Amino acid sequence: MQETILLPLIIALPLLGFVILGLFGKRIGEPTAGWLASLLVLGSFLLGLFLVLQGGARWALSEWLPGIPLSFNLDNLSGIMLMVVAGVGFLIHVWAIGYMHGDPGYSRFFSYFNLFIAAMLVLILGDSLPVVFIGWEGVGLASYLLIGFWYHERVNADSARKAFIVNRIGDLGFLLAMGLLWSMFGTLSISELVGKVEAGGYSFTTLTLAGFFLLIGAIGKSAQVPLMVWLPDAMAGPTPVSALIHAATMVTAGVYLLVRHAFMLHDDAFLSGLIVAIGLLTAIYGALCSLGQWDIKRIVAYTTLSQLGFMFVAVGVGAYWVAIFHIVTHAFFKALMFMTSGSVIHALGGEQDVRAMGGMRKYLPSTHLHGLVAAFASGGLVPLAGFWSKDAILAYSFEYGPWLWVLMLGASVLAALYSIRWYVLVFWGDYRGKEHPHESPPVMLWPNHILSVGALGVGFIGLPYVIDYENFISPFLKKAIGDFGHEKLPVLTEWVLIIVSAAVAITALWWGFRFFQQKMPQWYTHFQTWALNGFYADTLYNTLFVNPMKSLAEVLLGGDRGILTGFAGLGSLMGGLGNLLAKLETGALRFYLAGLLIALVLLVGWGVLR
Amino acid sequence: MIHVGLWLPLLAGLLLIFVPSLGRTFAIASATVSLVISLILFAGYGGQGVAYASQTAFLPEVGVYYAVGLDGAGLLLWIAVSLVVLLGVWIADVPVRFLAFALMMQTGLLGIFAAQDLIFFYAFFEATLIPALLMLWFYGGPDRLRAIYIFAIFTLVGSLPMLASIFAVRYLGGADSFLFTDLAANPLTGQAAALAFLGFLVALAVKTPLFPLHAWLPSFHQQNHPSGLADAMGTLYKVGIFAFFKWAIPLMPEGFEQWQGLMLFLAAFGALYAAWVAFSAPDWKTLLAYAGVSHMGIGALGLFSGNMEGTVGALYLLGASMIYGSAMFLFVGLVYKRTGSLEVAPVRGLAKHTPALYVLGMFILMAMIGLPGLSGFPGELMALLGAYQVSPWLTLVAFLAVIAAAAYALTAFQKLFQENAQAQAVPDMDSREWVFAAVTVGVLLLMGLYPKLFTVYLEPLGKAIAALFGGAS
Repeated sequence: MQETILLPLIIALPLLGFVILGLFGKRIGEPTAGWLASLLVLGSFLLGLFLVLQGGARWALSEWLPGIPLSFNLDNLSGIMLMVVAGVGFLIHVWAIGYMHGDPGYSRFFSYFNLFIAAMLVLILGDSLPVVFIGWEGVGLASYLLIGFWYHERVNADSARKAFIVNRIGDLGFLLAMGLLWSMFGTLSISELVGKVEAGGYSFTTLTLAGFFLLIGAIGKSAQVPLMVWLPDAMAGPTPVSALIHAATMVTAGVYLLVRHAFMLHDDAFLSGLIVAIGLLTAIYGALCSLGQWDIKRIVAYTTLSQLGFMFVAVGVGAYWVAIFHIVTHAFFKALMFMTSGSVIHALGGEQDVRAMGGMRKYLPSTHLHGLVAAFASGGLVPLAGFWSKDAILAYSFEYGPWLWVLMLGASVLAALYSIRWYVLVFWGDYRGKEHPHESPPVMLWPNHILSVGALGVGFIGLPYVIDYENFISPFLKKAIGDFGHEKLPVLTEWVLIIVSAAVAITALWWGFRFFQQKMPQWYTHFQTWALNGFYADTLYNTLFVNPMKSLAEVLLGGDRGILTGFAGLGSLMGGLGNLLAKLETGALRFYLAGLLIALVLLVGWGVLR
Repeated sequence: MIHVGLWLPLLAGLLLIFVPSLGRTFAIASATVSLVISLILFAGYGGQGVAYASQTAFLPEVGVYYAVGLDGAGLLLWIAVSLVVLLGVWIADVPVRFLAFALMMQTGLLGIFAAQDLIFFYAFFEATLIPALLMLWFYGGPDRLRAIYIFAIFTLVGSLPMLASIFAVRYLGGADSFLFTDLAANPLTGQAAALAFLGFLVALAVKTPLFPLHAWLPSFHQQNHPSGLADAMGTLYKVGIFAFFKWAIPLMPEGFEQWQGLMLFLAAFGALYAAWVAFSAPDWKTLLAYAGVSHMGIGALGLFSGNMEGTVGALYLLGASMIYGSAMFLFVGLVYKRTGSLEVAPVRGLAKHTPALYVLGMFILMAMIGLPGLSGFPGELMALLGAYQVSPWLTLVAFLAVIAAAAYALTAFQKLFQENAQAQAVPDMDSREWVFAAVTVGVLLLMGLYPKLFTVYLEPLGKAIAALFGGAS
């Protein structure tokens, strides 16, 4: 670990891009703006790689706020995340040069894109929780700006706003976690918290609460049940945004946050159980919803939800390195899946409905290959990237409890099905639309070539121990996360699990490949109505929360005028002055009632909360 | 220097009233000189204690002194006030006499932060009302009479108990004069402290503003001139947090402890309540009025925690909100110049014609809702860290406002700038507005990215408050 100014420079590069393109983007224009943004991210990647190879780095300003430093820490964990964010981020930047071609907001797009990378790097590299939070809300801002990139359409602006507000629920959890940790330990530096938590001398229930607050933050950012509703709508943004922010990087930040705080979670059966439950629910919910979508981007969005659920389960069962491993493989195959979808959308002049696609393997041969790799990796076909990370999650789930293994195996069957459904509907059958599909330009094909290689091969850095070949990533990450000793499964069990999961995936892929080429049977259409609407989660939330809250806001506004009336009443009791105040009387009954209501809430609230 | 800085705006204002032909340039020059003086004072400040202290006997028989001086908080708030006045005078399209009132009000505000004698503090606190009322009287909207009634009555009636308490503090506490140093050396105790504190609480709750005594604020902002200058000055007048910190708590720590529970509750409840109400605000000024109540609720929650973190957070948030709050009012003044209306509901889609104005608005709005990296966040965070130690549940209630803030701010902003509207083309920012934008955004970023620059001056003050209550930190 060295102290070096190069570390903040990693963040400064894309930040510089944001500022330059934000101020002079119009003059720089296309395609220079795109290349400038991409190269700055590449610079961050190379710089990060250099520092990781040197064994990590630190940098800090000793004081930013009283008692709170501005500190960054590049260790193996943040190093891997940095490779993913800047590496995959660079490829998506390059791809976007082609995809965003001709958009009037071209340089604005790349300015925001660089802002996102900078904020994400702050989130990853931050060692002090408030610094992490700067990145945490920074990526939220970038996500808001990019979802609503075409804000002249109301639906896009609405989606952006929804994402920001729902994320703020999670952010509140993060804030409260900081409040609690500060009151417990008097520090917010993660590296100091590790020691303080180990040292003990506090109430474990309180630490559980701190972990719970962090978990709320993670749920919001990683779109887990019950805060998953913003992610499907986030697809309103341009496709590169969906690939970078809402698939490969930002949504994994919640998982990263939990892994960072593994030292708080690993002993805690309650939190672990809760995380497993949430992850499992999300994995299945996302998978089922994906199977019902018609919009190509929403299909992929829900698959992301499902895969994020897998990562949460990994965290819950204590397989922290596996969660990160899955982030890595997922970044490759999911970015590829999104960009393949994007290439198809691009080829069809903006068409997003899969019912108007089909047969693309004839028109777009290269893109078809990318799609094939993405679908197989995502479906968990042995030996592609997705298989190895998913298999590791399954193995650790088995250790947690065979029942969990069964359920997760079910979830991975669904994962195979939605992957192959996406592939079949887009690439097989006959073309059902009226456009003239054309293959993407090289600037969009090359990033996908590279991602395909990754989706094929990156799983080999984390092979199971029974295969007599080195697992690189596990010992590498444990240096940073900590080693919370798991008992290894017996060799035979491990092999059986591997073979079962491989066989199940192949069967499901094959069955799905046949099934989705036919006309859908009746039961599937019924199911699809529910799944298409996300099982009416939005409707439910609107009825239960959003609309009552809006109505209450109206009532409160009326009631607030009632407060004046109340003072006027008080004044008339006191005589002469009251005559003056009494002019303020509005006389409306509902204001009195609202005022009364507020008074009641106040009294009860004070009694309960003080 | 401190005397020049204090009285210059008043003199300039008076001169401008009698010789209006001096014009806007003169007002800008005066505001610039004020800002420069405050920066010079800042540069010469040692970092600890009350600097530039000076006292002259005023009514020595009863112990009243003309005593001024600046501690870290007073100094930073001087800068904030001077900066906002300059920005306001620079950007607002208003008659010269209006600018004169603003300058006169500046002296009152600076006096509040500099006074080291309680009677003088009270005088400044009350006198500031006059130019505020004049602005509303001469340049307010059609329903301004009612707004004036409400504003004046809340302020004046609220101040009477404080005046009584001021005498109680002096004579029951047994100090020789109204000087801060004398009073602080003889704090009130017991039942007397509790009652005297209540007097301050009522007056200062009006000016914090603290629920439910915020009720004057919405009509005050609704009826003020659409340029936003009077609103900006009104935002600066929300000095309650400072007065609690500087006078009420140190002079009556025991009294504070008596009321602490209630005050924490009102602050937390008000923070959430106001943010919620803001969501259904019919126009931007009402929205910003409630938003301000919400932020001050968070600040007050921090201050009433009585520890270092909370105090630093409250003072930082106070200064920050003076700047972003005022800037937001001036910003909607610029919007009004283009649309002729400040209603929230209609879709205006302004961004198509005014991309630069859109970006400026986004910056101020994000600062307002506490986005990290901009000026609102450091204060909120410190207030949170302070408040959580004292009352986790109330902290949770207050910080629910974080969610509500995103809802009301982004919803209204979307209607104003985004979506598609068949609006006629309006001009984007001109060079005068660009200067305003550059300075504002620069300050928002500076305060957000490197808060230490300012918190070093607040930290000792926070420790002093904590020490009153036996806190080590």
